[in-house]
Amino acid sequence: MEKVLVANRGEIACRVLRACREAGIQTVAICAANDAGSMFPELADEVVMLQGDTIAETYLNQSQLLEAARSTGAQAIHPGFGFLSERADFAQAVLDAGLIWIGPSPHAIEKMGDKMTARKTMKAAGVPVIPGEEIELEDEAAALSALEEAAQRVGYPLLLKASSGGGGKGMRAVTEPSGFAEAAAGARREAIAAFGDGRIYIERLLTGSKHIEIQIIADRTGHTVHLGERECSVQRRHQKVFEEAPGPTMTPAIREAMGEAAVAAAKAVDYEGAGTVEFLLAPNGEFFFLEMNTRIQVEHPVTEMVTGVDIVREQLRIAAGEPMSCGTVQMRGHAIEVRLYAEDPANGFLPSIGPLAVFCPPEGPGIRLDTGVREGDDVTPNYDPMLAKLIVWAPSRVEALERMRRALDEFVVLGTTTNVAFLRDLCDNEDVVSGSTTTTTIDDTWPQGWSPVEHEALTQAALLSAAAGETLGLHRPSRSGPSSADGPSSPFSTLSRRFP
Amino acid sequence: MQHRFSLKGEDVDVALVRKNGGLSYQGHSVTVDARGRLKLTLADGSSCTAHAAKVGDVWWVHMQGRTFALERIEPGASSQDHGDGLVAPMPGKILETLVKAGDTVEAGQPMMVLEAMKMEHRIVAAHAGTVVAVHFQSGDQVNQGAVLLELEDTN
Repeated sequence: MEKVLVANRGEIACRVLRACREAGIQTVAICAANDAGSMFPELADEVVMLQGDTIAETYLNQSQLLEAARSTGAQAIHPGFGFLSERADFAQAVLDAGLIWIGPSPHAIEKMGDKMTARKTMKAAGVPVIPGEEIELEDEAAALSALEEAAQRVGYPLLLKASSGGGGKGMRAVTEPSGFAEAAAGARREAIAAFGDGRIYIERLLTGSKHIEIQIIADRTGHTVHLGERECSVQRRHQKVFEEAPGPTMTPAIREAMGEAAVAAAKAVDYEGAGTVEFLLAPNGEFFFLEMNTRIQVEHPVTEMVTGVDIVREQLRIAAGEPMSCGTVQMRGHAIEVRLYAEDPANGFLPSIGPLAVFCPPEGPGIRLDTGVREGDDVTPNYDPMLAKLIVWAPSRVEALERMRRALDEFVVLGTTTNVAFLRDLCDNEDVVSGSTTTTTIDDTWPQGWSPVEHEALTQAALLSAAAGETLGLHRPSRSGPSSADGPSSPFSTLSRRFP
Repeated sequence: MQHRFSLKGEDVDVALVRKNGGLSYQGHSVTVDARGRLKLTLADGSSCTAHAAKVGDVWWVHMQGRTFALERIEPGASSQDHGDGLVAPMPGKILETLVKAGDTVEAGQPMMVLEAMKMEHRIVAAHAGTVVAVHFQSGDQVNQGAVLLELEDTN
């Protein structure tokens, strides 16, 4: 495997392109016209510009991607996450084109990617699943009325999920029957728009539960191992925002049982490569299979930080037919990841757009930043609003939280509203501090929505800074600097006089 | 040296005073170093460095982990009044219009569904009232700031 095409964009494309560079593998990036100035194409050896304007015409366009691989002589395709990463038909098309698919077999993706099939497969493999019902009707009116009937049997509160969904899209929590019809129609519409598949299933909403997931790796020599758990309970609209490893309340006994269930799940579909088995952990210690993500996950860095395993590098190794390089895995210290979004947390978390006039991430010990943007880029409404993942590692959970607070305080993003202040508040949240977070922590803590705590002196100081900036003309690009006019002359102008 | 900024919908006048080679306001003072960085001394004696950048009319200021967006209002003007028009928070596509002109709505009632950044956003009535006009229909593309519909307060 000498040349890999990365069929993705943004942060995850950067992550994979860098891993390939480190492994001495040539790379091809694919790039839509509106991404031409982005960071990820610059990290590739070759770039193929995609034709078309919409995501469907570009990053989701299978024939264009396969043609890009053919024309550049790439031997393998890494799908990243999102886009085509969990599309069995694309994985099959890649294999049919004689290329290596860096991921599990189309059969495994199909079995796990379709949530209804996954539930059945897991039930058969003896892995516990959440009580719920599966509706497989394509016709809109029939599906909606069947969903309504099933809802009565499953009971409230309940959760509507898109069968081929992910990332919280096509997902709705419904607490009482009166809100069901609108939620069901909305979930279907969002599912069709995002995945081209309107099938939905209903399951009981287990309140007070933790979201725990197990990272697994399987290679062709028959080894399937798990790399321990991540806790991702802190979610907003089913979108994870704060992830950590190890789970703060995890016991060795539950870890072992869950790890075994995850490995059993992977083996049930002859899994190959890296994958994640998600569970809901009830307060009584019972756990239920949620879904398996047959791809690299957004939050994989926290596992990398505590296990020392480079998961993307292992994916490349396994796809090339080599055995995985990690042996018995031990967790060391504690890692936390937060997702930096271009959104306004004080205004219902509405996505925001604008220039990244200043983008100055924190640095120093134990800090890792995975991003696809840099200062000067524009945040547009074309793609997902995630700007970066900030990951910290420290010897203990307490120190990791302290480090995260420090890092977020240093993180300067000007020109576009972000959720930095919300993430910073989260680090002081009682449940986060004690490790007793559940999937409803954010809604329980801020039922009326989040808003920043007022600080009069800092607000005045900010007004002073802005007024001073305006008075002194700090915003004018032609500014020669307030001191250069009357201060010492620049060494460069001196040099140019001496050596014309 | 007086500047007017819009802060959370309210106009604030900031009158600067020259003091010890810097500028001051409400007991806080600032100097600018050779590289254009803002060095602040707050009224309580603490000090910090601020990052500031102007984008359009908005000054973005970061200090001590907080970010402020302060829109500068031209002298004599006051901050723009959108009235009761409901404005598109970002560019996107109208998926659904749930009300028509003449409808009465209750506070919190969804009136439009907007798709942007692959997510659905509901435009809800901030208060009870009567819909005066609906400017877009489902399928329409809207720009950020476009007035989507107009709502009149019920008295």
